[in-house]
This record gives sequence, C-alpha cells and structure tokens, in this order.
Amino acid sequence: MTTAMNQLFPSPAGGRFGRRLKRERGARIPVTVITGFLGAGKTTLLKRFLGTPQGQGTAVVVNEFGATGIDDALVRASADETVLLGNGCLCCITRTDLQQALRRMVVERERGELPDFGRIVIETSGLADPSPILQTFATDRALGGVFHVDVVVTVIDAESGGATLGWSAEARKQVILADRLVITKTDIAAEDAAATVAAKLRALNPGAEILEAVNGEIDPSRLTEPASDQRNTFVAEATHSDGISSFVLIHDRPMPWTVFAKTMDALMQLRGADLLRIKGFLDVAGCKGPVIVQFVQHLAHPPVELEQWPDDIRGTRVVFITRNISEAQVRGLLAAMKALV
Amino acid sequence: MPADNPLKSAEPITWNFKLLAQNDLGGFGGMGEGMSVQIAKDGRRIIWLAHESAPKNFTAVDVSDPRNPKVVVQTDLPKPYMRSNSLETVGNIMAVAYQTQKMGQQPAGLELFDISAPEKPRSISFFDCSGATSRGVHQLWFCDGEYVHMASGSPDFKPSHPSDDQFYRCIDVRDPSKPREVGRWWMPGTSATDNVAPPPRHPLDKGYRAHNTNVYPQRGDRLYLCYIDGGMFVMDIRDKANPKVISHWTNSPPYTGFMHTAVPLFDRNLMLVTDESTENAGKDWPKLIWILDMRDEAHPVSIATCPLPPIDAYKDRGGRFGAHNIHENAAVPTAWQSDQIVIGTFFNGGLRAYDISNPYQPKEVATFVPPPPKGTPAGAVQLNDVFVDERQIVYTVDRHTGGLYTLEMDF
Repeated sequence: MTTAMNQLFPSPAGGRFGRRLKRERGARIPVTVITGFLGAGKTTLLKRFLGTPQGQGTAVVVNEFGATGIDDALVRASADETVLLGNGCLCCITRTDLQQALRRMVVERERGELPDFGRIVIETSGLADPSPILQTFATDRALGGVFHVDVVVTVIDAESGGATLGWSAEARKQVILADRLVITKTDIAAEDAAATVAAKLRALNPGAEILEAVNGEIDPSRLTEPASDQRNTFVAEATHSDGISSFVLIHDRPMPWTVFAKTMDALMQLRGADLLRIKGFLDVAGCKGPVIVQFVQHLAHPPVELEQWPDDIRGTRVVFITRNISEAQVRGLLAAMKALV
Repeated sequence: MPADNPLKSAEPITWNFKLLAQNDLGGFGGMGEGMSVQIAKDGRRIIWLAHESAPKNFTAVDVSDPRNPKVVVQTDLPKPYMRSNSLETVGNIMAVAYQTQKMGQQPAGLELFDISAPEKPRSISFFDCSGATSRGVHQLWFCDGEYVHMASGSPDFKPSHPSDDQFYRCIDVRDPSKPREVGRWWMPGTSATDNVAPPPRHPLDKGYRAHNTNVYPQRGDRLYLCYIDGGMFVMDIRDKANPKVISHWTNSPPYTGFMHTAVPLFDRNLMLVTDESTENAGKDWPKLIWILDMRDEAHPVSIATCPLPPIDAYKDRGGRFGAHNIHENAAVPTAWQSDQIVIGTFFNGGLRAYDISNPYQPKEVATFVPPPPKGTPAGAVQLNDVFVDERQIVYTVDRHTGGLYTLEMDF
C-alpha cells in the first residue's frame, strides 16, 4: 500500500501501510520456528506440543538439509511427502526447498487436499543457522505475505549445551536470534547444569524468556504466543562473541517514516549481512498505531501498522541484533538522515 | 495428489474466524437474505432474520450474548406458497417483504411491524403489491426510517417477459400506518407497454428484474440497483418520482448474469458488486464479488474480483458454490462500517473475508466453511447471508437447515 494508492482510493480507516491490524500477523498463517543443536530435544518438545489442544491443526515442516534419519521418531516418510499425525496435525519433511514445501502445502490446503492447518511449526536441522529461514518469511515475494513468524524457540540441552555453545558459532547464533530459550534434560543433568547454561544463555540473549522442560513438557502457549511484546522489554545492550551485539533503539518522539526508511536502506546497502535481526515498534509521524518494522540481513518485511499502541504507551523501541555495528553508529546515521531529508 | 489420497478432504475450515455459537432456530433453520439488528428498549440486542421459505415468516433471536443466542419469537406465514425472504429494521419498525410462488397469489406485498416488544411484533400496515402479473416483493431496503426501496411487482405492471416482473419501487413510510408509493423505475423493455424492444435473454435466463435496491442516507440522491440479468445501475433519485440512469455496468455476457448487490464505498470511490450463484455443482461458475473504480460514477470500471478457492475443491460438495450476499454497511447504528474488509457468503464455499485495502489485489483473510448442517438436503452448508454488527460480531445463516452462526473476526 502506498501513499499514491491512498490518494487514488482514500479511506479514513486505512493507514499509510494499508489496513491497520489488530495484531502483528494480521491474517497470515502463524509460524513457530524451533531450532537447537542435534539431540537437544526439539522433537520431544514438538511431540508433546502436538498432543495438546493448542497443538491441534498444526502442520509440521521438518527442514533437513542433507541430514537423514534424525527425526524418524516423529515421522517416517520419504522426502517431501506429507503424512497425517493425528489430532488434525500433519507433517512434511523437506530436504529440498523450504519455500516450495510451504507453498505446496498452502495450495493443497486450498484445494481441500490437506486438512485445514492453522499453524506451521518448522523444525530446523540441528546445524542450521536460523537466519535463512527468517529471511524466507521476510518479503511478500518470498512467503511474508502468507506466513508470519510468531516465535523463534531455541532448545538447549542442559547437559551438553554449555559446551556446544563454547565451540559452535551456529549454536550461539541460534541462541542470539531466539525469542524463547528452552533448557531440556534438566532431570538427567548435573544439579547446577541448568543454572550454568542459563547464565550463558542470558549473556548471549538478555531479552529472551528462558524456560526449562523435562520430557518436552512446557506450557504450550510458549510455542505459539508471539514474542513481540516481550521483545519490547529489551533494555540491555549486550556484546557477544563473534562480534554480535544487541541494543534497543529508543526514541520518544514520532519519527518521519522517510528518516527511518532511508536510514535502514543505507544500513542494508552498506552492511546488510551484519543486520542479523531487527524488529520493533516505530512511532511514525502521522500514524495512529505503532508501525512494526522487521529486517533480516538485506531484507525488509513490509511494515505493518497496528490499530493501537499496547497499553497506550507510545514510543519507538526497536531491537537491533547486529554484527560489528554499534548503537552509536545507527544513531549517528539516523541523525544524519534526519538532517538531510 | 491422487483423488484417493487419504488426506483429500472436504472438511470444515475455520480460518481467522472464531465460531461462537450455532442455533438451528428450533428446527426451522432455512434462512433467507434479511438480517437486521435492533437494540430493544430493555437493552437486549435482537437480530431479526428472514426465512428462505414457508412455513416460517421471521425469527427474532436475542444475541446480547453472541455465545448463547436465544430465539425470542418465530412467526408463521399465512400461506404455504408465500416466502418472506427479506426484512430490515430501523429502531422499532420492521419492514418485511412478501413474495408468492406464482403471479396472482395473495397476500403479496410489504408489511410494517412495530417491534418495540420483540416477543410480540404488531402489524402496523400492509402495502398490497399482488396482482395478476405480480409475485409481490422479493427484496427491500430500509435504513432511514422514511422510505422503503424494494424489488416488487405491481398489479398495474405487466412485464414483457414473465421473469421480469419485479422492478424498483420507492415507498414512503414516514407515516407507517399509510405506506404510499412515491417512485418507480424499470429497465426499458421489461414492461409490455414499453416502446423499446425487450432485452435479449441470457442462456440461464434468470430474468431482468430488480434485486437489491440500496440507498444510503449519506448519499440519499443515489440508488444502487442490481437488476439480475440486466446488470447494475447507478440511479439519480433526487426526484423520487422520476429516477434517472447515471450509469450501467454489466459483466454478462460473457458471464452468466444474476447481478445481486451493489455496495458503494463512498470515501474510497469504490463499489462492490456481487453475483448470485443459482446453479448446483458449479454450473454457473464463476460467481464473484467484483470491485469497481467509481471515481467517475458515470463510468464504472471493474478493477478486480475477490479470489475464490479452486472450483474443483467445491463443485462436488453439494448445492451451490459462489458469491451471493455481502455485509452492506447499512447506515444504521447497529451495523459495522468498513471499507477495508469485505465479508461475503458463498453457499458451500462458506463465509469469506477479504482485505481490500489495496483494491487492485483483494486478499482473502478469513474463511469459515462449517460442516454440513444436520438434515440439509444440499449435502453441504449453503451460507446465504451475512451481517456484521457494530461490535464486529459476524452473523451468517444457512439456506436450508443450519440456522444462525455467530462468529468473531480474528484477523
């Protein structure tokens, strides 16, 4: 939706970015991404969830790039076939292309060839960097018009998780990009193992909620509830290993859209690869509700305006997770842009 | 995917709607296309519903708690050949349309009721439209408390073809005890007395007659008239006694006629126009909701249609598949107003909501296809009409047995 469209067919009810939404995902299909290292307990967590009322009507997509046999405990099917799991759930293992698999599922659902699933859970292969998966959902041209990532959950084994975080950059990235962190196998690990892992997780990702699960048991809403509200409470600036840091851009006054958009354009052009995940509420001049912005590397999600501010508290709060880009640099660019446009 | 795949399913869909309740209305759940919400004096919220066919006339349901709808009153038609397919309420006045199966049958016309005590609707007056060449009133529009705009026959109107008997009539009901006609218009050629040749028949030949007759107080000098096989007319009714055509738009041929409802979106210079599917098994597919650019009301331009699911997934489910009624933004305090979302019924295609914030690319945002209601002869649900109240509660009805469904929008 553009300003030009608003001029052609104006509507007092329509915002700058189209219909104002009650919630971030609007009408899109909610997606939960579950990441975590090999043997961390992703499948156990998922199996438990599928058996709950909240898990009903879930389509599971197991994304196994090249790996085989890891998740046969959940399904036994050849690649890219869809099987019913009971409880209205279905599962598709894709070893080829995630986008293709998801598109096919939507088309088949429309044709009545698949049951009416209401949620997608993507279980990534243990070694996966979640960034490419998040990018898949970033734009309309990809899958962003149909799907919306509500929550990224990363599963960490209490016993060996600490060590894994030490040697694996992928594991650290899984933690850094998560909205929620679930520590598993606390019952079989050493007494203080969970606390030790939790401290490491907190250092890597100070904003994410940390939960513990024994035999995959957690409140099922932790796998479905959007994490956007939680992200807004991020306050700490943290610098991690691998040059990754996180900070919150806070701004009290409404910002002209052009200033923010041009700033992000410049950042994406110059340092797209280092913008790991950026998300938050923007107080845009002239907009009634908050504008939710989201960026994954060089891709920008289409902005979405909500009907109203949560708790009626206005103010820009955007979380940046970046590699070797500081808050001061972003603020400097924003100020320069404000002076220029 | 092969047809015998175990995943193949015609199962219910509930996507971004939340079903709150269903009520089969005491076993008389075959509903027409009249839905109107009244706030009673005691604060109860009553939805008045027209029935598709005899024996029932209308049913009032207390929907103060949409999770627990309760029938307040259900009335009978005096004759088995009558149907009261359409009704509207303004405050405590209700207008009901009576149509008969054949010309010449009685009673046929318009009845006004005092519904200030919802349990005891009291007839105020009856405006007779019966006649040797009339089947009475099929549809009416009433939202200003002053005029009823309706698709009706008349004893003094002889159509040039028997299917073309209902035309536009404007009835002054400012004194509800004495309704009187103040204007009428028919498509040239449809009266036997016209000097114009009758219009050519369409292959399905559903008739050249009025269907929806929408007039909005915010633009009281305009009538948005759908004329079944005759397309859609924007009419100047500043002089009610002398309506004039401003523009005419049709999609048929090559489409298969039965244009049903035109809803202007005034602020946006847009218009929604629906077809009605009237044939089983998708034989008249595609029946669509059309979006028209009305920046120049004299030159409507079709710019998009609301996308339907694949016909192959629906044509064999039973009954009709395709567009019919939409929420019409009636200018009453109890009706939701939206120019961003279109909500329509599609018979076995259920209830569907579309985001039209970009009118060039309407996008489906919610779907409700309930299972076949108990006892339905169609084999599938046949959602017939929809109304959304100002609380954004969605009401939809089945054409055969399912009665009333109440839903929340969740998108």
